[in-house]
Amino acid sequence: MPIPILQTWFAKKHSAAPPIKDRSQLRVGIPKVLNIWSTHQFWVGFLKALGISPENIIFSSDTSEEQGREFGKGRGTVDCCYPVKCMSGHYGELIFGQKKKINILLSPMIHSLPSILHGHVVDTVTCTRVMAGPENIKAGFMKENDVFVENGIVYASPFVSLGDRQLVSGQLYTSLKDILNLDPDETERAVQAGYQALENFTTRARQRSREILAWCAQNQKPCILVLARPYHMDTGIGHEIEAELQAHGYPILWLQYLPGDADLMNWLFAEDMRKGRIKTPFDISDVWTSSYSSNTNEIMWGAKVAARCPWITCVIRLSSYECGMDQPTYTPTQKIVEATGTLFFKFGDLDSTKPAGSIKIRVETIVHYLAKYSGSIIGRKLSWLSADCPLPRTSRERTPTRAMADEARAAEPKQLVVLH
Amino acid sequence: MGQFTQLPSISHYTAYRPRPFTREERDRVTILYGGLTWKHERLMQGALHNLQYNAEPLPNIARDDLDAGKELIDVGACCPTIFTTGSLVNFLKREVTLHGKEEVTNKYVFLTAGACGPCRFGQYHESYAMALDGLGLRDFRLFLLAQDELDQGSNGGGGLDINMPLSLGLIWAILCADLLMDLEYMTRPYEINPGQTERVLKESVEYLYEVFRNRPDHGKKYGALAWHLLSNYFARALREVRKKWDVIEVDRLRVKAKVKVTGEFWLQTHEGEGNYNIKRWLEQEDSEVVPPPVAVWLHYLLHPTIRKLEHRNSKAKHPHAQALALHTLERIYRATYNRLRRALANLPNELPDQEELKRLAEPFYHFELRGGEGHMLIGKALHAYHHKKAHMICELSPYSCMPNTMSIGAMANVIGKYPDLLYAPIEVKGDSEVHALSRCQMILTEAKMRAQAEFEDALNKTGLTAEVIRQYEAQHPKVRSATYRVPHLGYAGTAANYVLHLARSCRLRPELSQDPNDRREGEARTAAYV
Repeated sequence: MPIPILQTWFAKKHSAAPPIKDRSQLRVGIPKVLNIWSTHQFWVGFLKALGISPENIIFSSDTSEEQGREFGKGRGTVDCCYPVKCMSGHYGELIFGQKKKINILLSPMIHSLPSILHGHVVDTVTCTRVMAGPENIKAGFMKENDVFVENGIVYASPFVSLGDRQLVSGQLYTSLKDILNLDPDETERAVQAGYQALENFTTRARQRSREILAWCAQNQKPCILVLARPYHMDTGIGHEIEAELQAHGYPILWLQYLPGDADLMNWLFAEDMRKGRIKTPFDISDVWTSSYSSNTNEIMWGAKVAARCPWITCVIRLSSYECGMDQPTYTPTQKIVEATGTLFFKFGDLDSTKPAGSIKIRVETIVHYLAKYSGSIIGRKLSWLSADCPLPRTSRERTPTRAMADEARAAEPKQLVVLH
Repeated sequence: MGQFTQLPSISHYTAYRPRPFTREERDRVTILYGGLTWKHERLMQGALHNLQYNAEPLPNIARDDLDAGKELIDVGACCPTIFTTGSLVNFLKREVTLHGKEEVTNKYVFLTAGACGPCRFGQYHESYAMALDGLGLRDFRLFLLAQDELDQGSNGGGGLDINMPLSLGLIWAILCADLLMDLEYMTRPYEINPGQTERVLKESVEYLYEVFRNRPDHGKKYGALAWHLLSNYFARALREVRKKWDVIEVDRLRVKAKVKVTGEFWLQTHEGEGNYNIKRWLEQEDSEVVPPPVAVWLHYLLHPTIRKLEHRNSKAKHPHAQALALHTLERIYRATYNRLRRALANLPNELPDQEELKRLAEPFYHFELRGGEGHMLIGKALHAYHHKKAHMICELSPYSCMPNTMSIGAMANVIGKYPDLLYAPIEVKGDSEVHALSRCQMILTEAKMRAQAEFEDALNKTGLTAEVIRQYEAQHPKVRSATYRVPHLGYAGTAANYVLHLARSCRLRPELSQDPNDRREGEARTAAYV
């Protein structure tokens, strides 16, 4: 007969807590490209929650021609748009250009994005090139020999649907479990932390945009909206065009961080909803039926906001050379924005070289038009909106009258405005 | 509250929405469509005529369509968008000149495939709408046919009812046209009498058109589905077609490089100036083309849905049950294709296994990356390489195509691992023919050398000579029939497989040779081979 007590004595003891996974010394490099520009806080929050020290999360620098020449030369595999092509330089910089070597190169294939339009559009997926970019660039570092292995770096490229929260933990756990020694629970907690960090950052940025609009409303000053993809914030891709305009004293708003507060949106889109054209302020079905692509959807929505918001008197459209996602939207966005007389300037076919001279000339033109027409644009747009503006306005500012609107229109004969 | 009782509202650009196409209009209105080969389009016409629709395919794409498209849509579009928009534009322009705008807008509607996805394929209709604006034909009606639903109900007024009989008719038309296309491309390069394949092909297409036009009515829903799956109607028709092809005499001893055409969907399917007539050009350059069947694309479309269900990325109540149902559907689809193949003596190529394509592409391109043909381009290239289905891959990629450029980039990694894979990615702009064809020519030269080397290897192994084979053919004319099946025996080239097949299955021996030296040498080789 077995003696139970012996089993108790010799049984393997369960440890009270799971073994500590020390990841504080791991260095993770992230190429600062494409949709990392709008999701970087998620990745920082995610990695920090896994115990990776903030100083060990290394983003590559802004894109530059020098970066491409020094670190990406000979790594290109196909000719495509510059935002994808330049990734070779970012990969190379993280592999070859760090004083203290990284252990992991994390380049996620982001399949879908969180979006302010989520639930109002068909889908929020990313551009096909953007999501597949890592596979393309990886090929350039593996076609002859495995550069990652040679440099003692683990290449991690999780396929992740950030626009579909319920899938993310599973996707990241499956692809990173062996690399980071993950377990499902801690992955879920880290994903939670990542979303929280992203949410906090986006909320703060949108709040800042609202404060800019409030300042414009109080002072009856114009501002400029940049309609572009997230990676145009990269100084090597967007070429700092918006900074040149800001230097002339015009506040800049980025589409990605436009305030989506209900009071403001309902004020801007009240008439459209009342007439049944749209169901909510975030509904873009009136202008774009193929609403699959997250950034494209937001560009169309941003154009609608710009057309209505009084203090956005000018839109700067940035688009990279060979951008297939932007291509079908050129005419629709321009027509939407210009319908209310809002100024529209497009900087298209942006590539690796900064056309500094032509940018300077065009900036001067834009500044001239802004100075000349902003007042009338603000007046006219205000005349189409109710007096219940949720933004604070000065006491000298009166609710616009029909006469003011007519006066504003007369000042600018070439407007493409149709009033019903 | 605002100062004005009624505020003026902003009116700006709005998305195109077609006015209704009503049931009453059906007799007076002609449905335009296009985008596939003339064979597919003719059989689809049969399916549409069967359901009492007036239907007419657009004329085949021509070089002029590129200019017409460029004039009316935003710059930077990919060439399939420009060509297909231009084709519609040129057709409408001609009709407007003849009949006036009002008659054209009332007489025609255009039906095109819609796609769910971020690639421009899902946005073609935006370009069409822009072109209609440019032509002053905003009232012209354009409808989208989703590719992933068989029963979409009536579309904008009831004039076009996208129901089971219509969807199944179109799918079966595509499958039959695919099979005919395979027969065509495997026969024409070897035909003894030039032009005979073309004549029999046209005859077969017309015969099948009648078959589709006279398809019996079996209800609007499951009756139609059951009949399509179980009936012998189409298999019987294809057996009749096979008889027509029996009479074509071929010479399979012509050594030809086998070139598998892959690439962006429209460009790889198209036969005409939209892709520099590259399939015909390849045949002129002593190649046998393996054309891309549309059926592979339809097969591929089932898979993202299956994966969604497997990954719980679905709002379905019973994802496992639905996944099982889709797996069953996939098997039925393949079985149907194979049943139709059997009616043509298994001559057309089998559909590749989608799971295998995924597995082959996995180290290079993630299978969940959407857009275009996704991982399939890499999967198909590796499938042809590993199974020796072709000597070279010719991948047709439209200039500025978003998904295609990514898989071409990833192919650099594949070529690094498999340096002997002959791969020619051809960028098609529509107007730089010489550049594209000369690029293809370079790889093709190597492919031809491989085909020749394979053929010589087969002769060496079997000890046969062309003369012996000719004698055998004279005694057994059936082996020179286009419908005589030469199985795949490990070589990519048809000629090499033919030699091996004659030696193995027909027991052809070198002793048939009249030359005693040849005969002795041949006997020795055969003994070694056996």
